Amino acid sequence: MMLRRLLHGLGLVVVLCFTLFPFYWMVSSSFKDQTDLLASPPVWLFTPTLANYADIFADEKVFGAIVNSLIIATLTTALSVLLGAPAAYALARFDFRGKSDLWFWFISNRMISPIVLALPVYLLALQMNLLDTHLVLVLIYLTFNLPIVVWICTDQFRSIPIELEQAARLDGANQFTIFRKIYIPLGLPGIAVSAIFSFIFSWNELLYALVLTRRSVQTAPVIATSFMSGYELPWGKIMATGTVIVLPVTVFALLVSKHMVRGLTMGATK
Amino acid sequence: MPFLRLDNVVKRYGEHSAVQGVSFSAEKGEFVVFVGPSGCGKSTLLRMIAGLEEISDGDVLIDEKVVTHVEPARREVAMVFQSYALYPHMSVFENLAFGLRMVKTSEGEIKRRVAEAARILQIEALLQRKPRQLSGGQRQRVAIGRAIVRNPKLFLFDEPLSNLDAELRTQMRVEIAKLHRALGVTMVYVTHDQIEAMTLADRIVVLRAGLVEQVGTPTELYDRPANVFVAGFIGSPRMNFLPACVTAATDGQLTVSSPAFTGGTLTVATKGAHQVRIGEEVSVGMRPEHLELRTARPVLTLKADFAEYLGGASQIYAQPDGGALMTIVVPGRPPISKNEDLPIGIAPDHIYLFDKQGLGI
Repeated sequence: MMLRRLLHGLGLVVVLCFTLFPFYWMVSSSFKDQTDLLASPPVWLFTPTLANYADIFADEKVFGAIVNSLIIATLTTALSVLLGAPAAYALARFDFRGKSDLWFWFISNRMISPIVLALPVYLLALQMNLLDTHLVLVLIYLTFNLPIVVWICTDQFRSIPIELEQAARLDGANQFTIFRKIYIPLGLPGIAVSAIFSFIFSWNELLYALVLTRRSVQTAPVIATSFMSGYELPWGKIMATGTVIVLPVTVFALLVSKHMVRGLTMGATK
Repeated sequence: MPFLRLDNVVKRYGEHSAVQGVSFSAEKGEFVVFVGPSGCGKSTLLRMIAGLEEISDGDVLIDEKVVTHVEPARREVAMVFQSYALYPHMSVFENLAFGLRMVKTSEGEIKRRVAEAARILQIEALLQRKPRQLSGGQRQRVAIGRAIVRNPKLFLFDEPLSNLDAELRTQMRVEIAKLHRALGVTMVYVTHDQIEAMTLADRIVVLRAGLVEQVGTPTELYDRPANVFVAGFIGSPRMNFLPACVTAATDGQLTVSSPAFTGGTLTVATKGAHQVRIGEEVSVGMRPEHLELRTARPVLTLKADFAEYLGGASQIYAQPDGGALMTIVVPGRPPISKNEDLPIGIAPDHIYLFDKQGLGI
């Protein structure tokens, strides 16, 4: 029994190190100067410097990229919830032809690896003159986020007793009022969780942002990688930018982690 | 003209029929109770009256208007749900006001009507609370209040007391009866509890497997059950049934035989509902509370099994030779020992006869 617990604990420590080490490395590197960064073997004890942060905050491109990320993530989140929540209500409460197929289609959207679609999406965006616009990223993120919003919200709405809707119908409420006055307030935890996921996904996404943007609409993750050039690898700046990108969502995720776990396990038990 | 009329109402779910052609009508101000075992279609029927369930066939008429395809809100009915169905995120006041807001009632009128309903139900002190801060009984009152404020033409109750404990259930039952008297509105009430049905109803509709078994006043159903099902369902503890065989039939009388009867036979007056042939098997029904213990002129001789003393009365379980256990309800606490021979009597007009199909003879 004791041995089992010890092994379990040891296993957890290994997983934790594996997960957290890259974060530790990123954050600690962002405080090193170039000599410490390139030292081999790596230095564990060093004099921290804020020079990298001073550099990136002086760089207008970084600020612009963060603003771009904010615009795109906010717009995507708002649209995902605006479109996803009513769709989830329909899926949760109405019977219509092809409902189960539609439900499967929503889930199957998440089964495909994003990189498979990268080239066709790039060609489509090119033909429609959408490359390097906010719109193209909002549209593609919406495609990936909507299923999550629909998925979580449908589950949340299904857990609301149907009698409440029936009581409201008898009280004279129409479908829209029922949705607005009953389902939205009672489904708020699910809606909030799906919005959080949607925001984090849009904020962190790199692949499509890299493929579909050039100069004017670069997002924060893209700008972090853009410091790499053929002759220079300014690890300090890259890591400082990475930290600046990750920090707000990490703090945010820690604050709402209870809700996020609930969102992930929604519908797992009756 | 009846106030509520169901005209051959049918509800089908694919191949299965939950309600198989129910016709029935209720007068204005009447308290009608639908009673029956689980799955008999009573709640479905109620929901069809409310408009929450589509009607596969037939018509529903309220106040002489066909409402079969009318939206629930426009039928002017209010329903109290088994689960209360209170809006958990709204205060009691907002729960009561919701329906009034939907029909754009003025704020002053809303306040007046909510206050009036709260006064009737004695929930004035709870108006600012959320449903989760209320006890089961208080929630039930709010649910009823939500129905009252709208001044509906018809009240529908779907097993409203089944979530309450026994004491509260009795209390709320009395309050619902008082409310009916005070408002004088037509009420349709669904329950599987025959005590609720007997105590509340002006008329009871007994349902089984989507069909009406009998409609009548509580005393009619108790005194003259149309068939074995109604006889067994109405009355608590349920009626005892003894299998017997017809040995003689004269005008208005039947002689039936069973080894349980003292002397082997029993002669019973029939209602002349229909003819039975000699040799036909019948069921003899006797209510537990009609049986007399240790009588001088016994009809049955039973062997005592055990007794339950309930305080003021006792339930005694005894059986005829090779027969099923019968229940006898007697006042007081008579001493009973196991396997004791009990001579049992019953007044002749308390004996019921049912033919092989279960219909009353």
